[in-house]
Amino acid sequence: MNTQIGNWKIYALGDHAIVFALEAKVDKQIISKIMSLHHLIQNKKIDGILDCIPSYHTLTIVYDVNTFFPKQHNTIEYLKSFANQMICALETSHSFSENKKSSIIKVPVCYDLEFALDLENMSSQKNISIAEIIETHTAKNYDVYSIGFMPGFAYMGIVDDSIQMLRHEKPRVNVPAGSVGIAGVQTGIYPSNSPGGWQIIGRTPFKIFDPNPQILAKFKVGDQIQFYAINKEEFEKLNEYKS
Amino acid sequence: MSIKIVKKGLSDSIQDRGRYGYQHLGIQPSGCMDIISAWLGNYILQNDLNAPIFELHFPSSQFLFDRDYTICITGANFVPLINEKSIELNTPIQVKQNDILSMLQPIEGRTAYLAIQGLLSEPAWLQSNSYTGKILEKEQAIDFKVSHLPSGHNQVLTKDLIEKVHAQVFDHQAPIRFLPGPAWKDLDEHSLSSIVNDTFTISPQANRMGFNLSGPKLTLNNPNAYLSSAVTRGSLQLLPNGNLIVLMADHQTIGGYANLGQIILVDLPRFAQMKSGQPFQFSLTNLGMAHQLYHNIYEQFKY
Repeated sequence: MNTQIGNWKIYALGDHAIVFALEAKVDKQIISKIMSLHHLIQNKKIDGILDCIPSYHTLTIVYDVNTFFPKQHNTIEYLKSFANQMICALETSHSFSENKKSSIIKVPVCYDLEFALDLENMSSQKNISIAEIIETHTAKNYDVYSIGFMPGFAYMGIVDDSIQMLRHEKPRVNVPAGSVGIAGVQTGIYPSNSPGGWQIIGRTPFKIFDPNPQILAKFKVGDQIQFYAINKEEFEKLNEYKS
Repeated sequence: MSIKIVKKGLSDSIQDRGRYGYQHLGIQPSGCMDIISAWLGNYILQNDLNAPIFELHFPSSQFLFDRDYTICITGANFVPLINEKSIELNTPIQVKQNDILSMLQPIEGRTAYLAIQGLLSEPAWLQSNSYTGKILEKEQAIDFKVSHLPSGHNQVLTKDLIEKVHAQVFDHQAPIRFLPGPAWKDLDEHSLSSIVNDTFTISPQANRMGFNLSGPKLTLNNPNAYLSSAVTRGSLQLLPNGNLIVLMADHQTIGGYANLGQIILVDLPRFAQMKSGQPFQFSLTNLGMAHQLYHNIYEQFKY
């Protein structure tokens, strides 16, 4: 199954998922359109849809083969008509503009060298002072384009050219929870202790993922994040990782 | 009322159909590697088909029963023993207080299931008892509410079902069928032919997250950088070194490698049961066929 409706390409991903895709770009307009479709489909609470996963330029719908389709159906025809209905509903809805009002989530980061494992190295490699790196990292709002790798890990962008740095070739065995990192155009926060290759420039005292079903992930795709610098005393005061 | 782990296995866990509805937050679905064998165990005991079940790998845990239970072992044949006496697979077995279940040796397959008649009383997280990376520990006690259902299944029908399941899950001569994925069109001509004509084997690096394969090196026409997007169980991801990894139950929610295709649902249990070193071939199929094959198996489990 592979079809085109306006700017959308819709294709089957194996036998239990379908993908709605726009142009493959890291782009704010594209992710907000993806999120409009995400909200629209989630709000419809359609039988048989198990998951609805936005990421950059795609929205992937995972379905249950037994319950998603009506009794008598042609698989391909049904998926095409489903895709058509969703895109038509999106074009007649106002959710696109509603979404735009997403609030900015402010996230404190302590850039102290005790936490910022790669900051000195980045400063010498990029030939830019530590103070400038911090200033640049906190200067703009980032959009969440994707969540994955581990529960709650948000891929945010776009990082300013001057502080972009590739992942370590050999990942660290253990990156502490709350570590704030850079990987190419992306910045993100490790929600729990984990192996990882991102360039670590600081740590947030905020819990990014909480298994409590009422809380779960702090960020959703489409959210806007702004980092602000705090010192170590403030970090200790705000530290949500203390048991 | 509980079943106690008296000896820890390599990587045994409790699984069900998996945790869906949270992948947009990066929460993996997990779930049974071989859902068809899990269904069979629950079906034979007249449990809900997707009831939580013990998933066992070899060397497996040893279980001590604190009272009488009806159990059933399906999937891989690890030669199950009750107090050192061998018991049948795919059959309801009465165990008594203080009986010990252990597994002697892996004869066939990679993953066995231990179903208990009744209901697990452990708390679920987000509507599922499948946890990524949470394995059964020594001395852990798992509570079940035992239920006794009045009538058994039609013996003839059940025997027929067991044979069908065995043919579907353990016929390792049959090719593993898949549907082409978004990066299929980026494969070079030689790779397009090699993926469906050459033989692959499962490497020793195979676990609940993914099975690495060895086989012909595959190459892309334009080594593209792909933006990460959702992957599924059964996704064939092409690594930069030209080898494939097949994503399994504990897969991450998104992936950025070239996604060449996805193994169809009905063949995933057979793939999951293949041991490291097992040679096999891939073959292409279509979506309509994939759904029909799935229904053909699923319909067999109607009560």
